[in-house]
Amino acid sequence: MSGPLSGLAPRWRKVVRDLSSHRFRTLLVVLSIAVGVFAITVVMGGRGILLREFEAVYAASVPATISFSVDAADDSVVRAVERFEGVRFAEGRRTLAVRYTKGEQPEAASSAGWDTLHVSALPEFERGRMDLVTLESARSFPPVAGELLLERSVQMVADYAVGDVVSVEAPSGKRTELRVTGIVHDINAFPATFVATATGYVSMDTLRLLDQPTHYNEIHLIAEGAPTRAEASRLAVEVRDDVLGARGVRVLQTSVPEPGSHFLGDIFRAVSLLLLALGVLSLALSGFLVVTTVQAIMAQQVSQVGIMKAVGGRADQIMRMYLVMVAVYGVFAVAVGMPIGAAAGHWFTGYAADLLNFRITTYAPPPSVIALGVAVGLAVPLLAALVPVRLGTRISVVRALNATGMSGTSFGHGLIDRALGLVRGLPRPVALSLRNTFLRKGRLTLTLVTLTLASAVIMSVMSVQSSILATVDEVDMWDFDAQMWFAVPQSREAVERIASRVEGVVAVSGMPEYRSVFTRADGTESQPIDLIGVDPASDFVVPRISEGRWLAAGDRAAIVLNADVAKDEPELRVGSSATFNVLGEDRTFEVVGVVTAGLMGPVAFAPAAYVDEIAGRSGAIMRLQLRTPTDDTWEHARIARVVERRLEERGVPVAFTQTANDQRDQVASQLGILVTFLAIMGVILAAVGVIGLTGTMTINVLESTREIGVMRAIGASHRSIYQIFVTEGVVIALIAWFVGALVSYPMSAALLDMLERAMGLPLAFEYAWSGVGIWLAAVTAIAIAASMLPAFRASQVSVRDAIAYE
Amino acid sequence: MSSQHTAESSVLVSLRDVVKVYDTGEVPFTALRHVDLEVRSGEFVGLIGKSGSGKTTLINMITGIDRPTSGEVVVGGTPVHALNENQLAMWRGRTIGVVFQFFQLLPTLTVIENVMLPMDFCAMYAPAERPEHAMHLLEQVELADQAHKLPSALSGGQQQRAAIARALANDPPILAADEPTGNLDSKTADAVFHLFEELVEAHKTIIMVTHDTDIASRVRRSLTVSDGEITDEIIHRPRAERVGL
Repeated sequence: MSGPLSGLAPRWRKVVRDLSSHRFRTLLVVLSIAVGVFAITVVMGGRGILLREFEAVYAASVPATISFSVDAADDSVVRAVERFEGVRFAEGRRTLAVRYTKGEQPEAASSAGWDTLHVSALPEFERGRMDLVTLESARSFPPVAGELLLERSVQMVADYAVGDVVSVEAPSGKRTELRVTGIVHDINAFPATFVATATGYVSMDTLRLLDQPTHYNEIHLIAEGAPTRAEASRLAVEVRDDVLGARGVRVLQTSVPEPGSHFLGDIFRAVSLLLLALGVLSLALSGFLVVTTVQAIMAQQVSQVGIMKAVGGRADQIMRMYLVMVAVYGVFAVAVGMPIGAAAGHWFTGYAADLLNFRITTYAPPPSVIALGVAVGLAVPLLAALVPVRLGTRISVVRALNATGMSGTSFGHGLIDRALGLVRGLPRPVALSLRNTFLRKGRLTLTLVTLTLASAVIMSVMSVQSSILATVDEVDMWDFDAQMWFAVPQSREAVERIASRVEGVVAVSGMPEYRSVFTRADGTESQPIDLIGVDPASDFVVPRISEGRWLAAGDRAAIVLNADVAKDEPELRVGSSATFNVLGEDRTFEVVGVVTAGLMGPVAFAPAAYVDEIAGRSGAIMRLQLRTPTDDTWEHARIARVVERRLEERGVPVAFTQTANDQRDQVASQLGILVTFLAIMGVILAAVGVIGLTGTMTINVLESTREIGVMRAIGASHRSIYQIFVTEGVVIALIAWFVGALVSYPMSAALLDMLERAMGLPLAFEYAWSGVGIWLAAVTAIAIAASMLPAFRASQVSVRDAIAYE
Repeated sequence: MSSQHTAESSVLVSLRDVVKVYDTGEVPFTALRHVDLEVRSGEFVGLIGKSGSGKTTLINMITGIDRPTSGEVVVGGTPVHALNENQLAMWRGRTIGVVFQFFQLLPTLTVIENVMLPMDFCAMYAPAERPEHAMHLLEQVELADQAHKLPSALSGGQQQRAAIARALANDPPILAADEPTGNLDSKTADAVFHLFEELVEAHKTIIMVTHDTDIASRVRRSLTVSDGEITDEIIHRPRAERVGL
């Protein structure tokens, strides 16, 4: 006897032949397991790669422990800071916001519609020790006078390349042309995809071209060791008072971010948590799929188990055979699912990295994910198969040999059976389908659990998506069409008068806005908080209160916080008094409320009259909002440009203009990452569900091959057989859809709660009823497709072969 | 009911007061009612009866495929009724070769692999010797030329002969056959029966269920099973005596 299997004992040859002769079944089982491996590799691999790479890139950028905004400082001040105990390195830089556009522009042309460029002038590019940027492409490096390096995220929103010339307008109004000589990556810069502001880097020499002094207005430092935020805050106070204050340097703002926490950390944590939750759900789904399919295989093999026992096979010997078969399925599934999962994970992480603006250095999935993938492919199927295989091989020989394939189970005893028996008036094939559905209750339960779980997860994902989109609306607490900021305070009366005369402007509202910091009980300071003065009765504000109340007429030193401040500063509670440093003076406010608005940075609101009073600038505004009679966002932008031009003509330079749509996009782009991730996850889970349903339905039909033979022998047409099995598939799918919809409601709420905790932002819960409808249509279509293919195959088998089917 | 036989052959199969009741729902069904039976070594016993009479249940008691509700089944000195499923499987593989009406060959194994399977399960013969032994058995049933074909490529008669070769794989002293000719045409059935006669001559003990009275008349001893009881016993003369040799 020769051949590739000649060295194998007959029982192992049976395993090999069962695998190779039932190719369709093998393919289905392998796919069922592989989708689990695939989902885990994509989801957990993607999460692992993103976490690893993000942390590595962020740590490699050596983010500053503390940043001071100062009026003016030179190298001697920087050196003094560096010598201070607890400080490892210090560096100075000058930052400013300019307006820019592509190409050379005549001096006379209006700059209305130009974009904002946040420029950092650095003394050292090659020997920087913190907040490092990475060169991606360059014509020459480091930049000299007249040259500009652009942060790469600008290329995601506009067409900029090395060699381009950009026109830049300094705050003084002076214009100059800069040549783009390089593209850099700065993980500490807010990506241009999130805000309408690009980031650029120039040498100190370029400052003169921009009418700027060459002293520093920022000092960044790295602390010794790894201080906590509280320790770093205390160091910041010491440096501010003992070094900067002692040298007459005025500190305008102090920034002490949470060490090791990137500004997109909240979003990142939420994404990571979401991926983890979906990974666990995928794992559960895969486990159920495997149990269902292995149980189906055992059901098909029952008479062969009987024969083997009859000729001397022990239960443990036969059990080993089937477990080896399952292990082989697992090996195939890992071989198929893992490379495809890794490839999809590569695309997925690359896409996510682009969104979050960081570079992936290596796409290799973490070893723990490879181990998990292998475990999902091998251990989970084996564990899942243990019970059905054990039950299948423990069956007595007489029962196994008497199994006819006509479902050796009885129908008619249970409550459901009797209830179905009472259903009258249905066409005979439909009645048969309904009763067939409930014939194998164990299989039905497993199939339903699998499909219900898939349905619930998919509908929940859709609900979380719609909740996030609803949150985008909720965080928007303004009712304006366009707004603009001024670099220096302007007269409210003059600005409102000019703007309101522009055709298409129906209402205007100017408001004071100053940077402030909250002084904590231990004397340390918060991140800068934008303090906006608003008229409590203004209809430009539509506050959505999550706690306390909005500002009321008669309020004086009252303050309302946005969700970002409330999250960052747990000391600030409604009803508490809080000290805010505004324009260098400590002011005490009473916290009266918290609004749901968030993801726009720390913002607090106080009565405009009181803000005017403490600023000592009555009627001075930094921001102007306006409304138009149209909902057309293009028209909003056009009218804003006209207002901007009109203001400039009257000597009021505008620093930055934004339409309501831009602002919504800014918030949406952050939450949009979650939406995108959820959509991708939804597609993956839907694929798992589709393959699972197809597999289950196919095996259901395969198991019924003998019934098909009997039905055809007594005159059933192909059409009748199609109708019976398609109806059965649809009935199963509809039950799964219905129960899944019920489960999806609490599941969506739980997922959203998890996201809220991760992001510290209240999210609006909006159950996606449309998702329920979409999944109903999808699952019905899937059930029809999944039943028709195997029913077609079965209908092609001759009656004789169908009856003899094993 | 017991039989009288020559003193030199020992009792190989012994059933004492065997009762089998099936729980088929509302009314239990008694398939065997207090059956006593002895089969001696080298006998060729036919169990005959109508459909549902209990003859298959009776042979299943002897092979250990099914268990009695009460009573004792002792085969070759082994109390079959007291063995657990694993002990039964191993004991059956070595002691009784089972032949089924529908052949029950494993469809994904070739004929010779089907024959080697009991040797594999029961660890009989060295692995290297198994193909040779299996081929020898196939030669005995005149199927050597079909050894490497799948069962589906064989005729019904060939499949039954392959199943007999498989039943003989571990050289068991007893062959239990449930309607072995029930699915075969008369010519093929005759050939299979002839094979059984040769095996009896080779000192195998054969217990065969059949409803074919013609076939039943050719066995040494036929027992009629009716309503779960052995109601009649006929001892036939050996073939040589019948033809007047």
